[in-house]
Amino acid sequence: MNSWLIILFNSVILFFITFFLTRFMKKRNLSKFTPFDFISYVVIALIVTLISLGIIPNIYFGLTALAVWGLMPIILDYSSMKSKWIYNIINGKERVLVKNGKVMEDNLAKERMTGQDFLQELRSQKSFNLADVEFAVMETTGDINVCLKADKKPVTSYDLGIKVASKTEPQAVILDGNILNEGLTNIGLSKGWLSTELENKGVALENVFIGQVDSSGDLYLDLFDDLVQVPKSQNKEMLYASIQKSQADLMSFALETENEEAKSIYLKDAENLEKVVKKLEPYLLR
Amino acid sequence: MTVVSKVKQTLSTLKGSEATLRLYSLQERDKEARVIYTEAFEEISKIKTNLEKRVGSIEFQEPQYKGN
Repeated sequence: MNSWLIILFNSVILFFITFFLTRFMKKRNLSKFTPFDFISYVVIALIVTLISLGIIPNIYFGLTALAVWGLMPIILDYSSMKSKWIYNIINGKERVLVKNGKVMEDNLAKERMTGQDFLQELRSQKSFNLADVEFAVMETTGDINVCLKADKKPVTSYDLGIKVASKTEPQAVILDGNILNEGLTNIGLSKGWLSTELENKGVALENVFIGQVDSSGDLYLDLFDDLVQVPKSQNKEMLYASIQKSQADLMSFALETENEEAKSIYLKDAENLEKVVKKLEPYLLR
Repeated sequence: MTVVSKVKQTLSTLKGSEATLRLYSLQERDKEARVIYTEAFEEISKIKTNLEKRVGSIEFQEPQYKGN
């Protein structure tokens, strides 16, 4: 057999072997590699290259090495899932760099990090001021994660004491002018609903690039033709306003009527309606 | 505008709100929001019943405005 045929055959086989091997290895972002992950990937890549180019004369030697380097990480991954001890040996331990706002110089030295490196890493985490940092930890991948002091953290609606409506994830129902049946069935809506909704907005299906339905069933459209203005649905604001108007009406009826019994009923209803308005506010107004 | 027609107008606004809320409570996928809509819808429907009774009694007292 010609030697180029051998190389072709070997390469095709190795291509699929490597493909499936990497499939079974850990799925992780390239930037989140520990040094050991990196080495094992490089070694696998090298072995595959050497075998497929025929540089290793005995192909079985090469395959054995490949099997060891391919399977060992998988075995280690599984055993580190079972045992914390093995996990620590393989991945190392995270190191605390700032505790209670104080930099731990010893730990910085252990990671062979200078003060400048450390400040640079902090800046990349958007904390320019060391005084704002309460706690910082170096993960086993070498990333630094920062926990800011309580008064420097971004404000959440919880901090402000505002109740916000809970929502589930939105679903895409139109892409490139095509209806996505899967998205529609996930939210329990039909094609008929979608076509009525499009008709209400006066938009042709072909003109829609992306259509997304949020958890309350509102359809948001992005059109190919950006000059066309899609009417924003204001049904919720309208509903809120009309309930509020009814509440005001009830109050005025209570003031106008001379019948004592009716007056008390009106007042009670107005009060209840006001409670309803308060409860609905986060859901209808945003 | 007579009293009875004002009350009727409010009644119809309330009916509209009730229907819209019911629609939202069916359309909403988030459980918590659905509960809120349903509660609001039930509360409004109680108020609506009270108002309907009131319309009845006004019309009984002042039959000359009936149907307005």
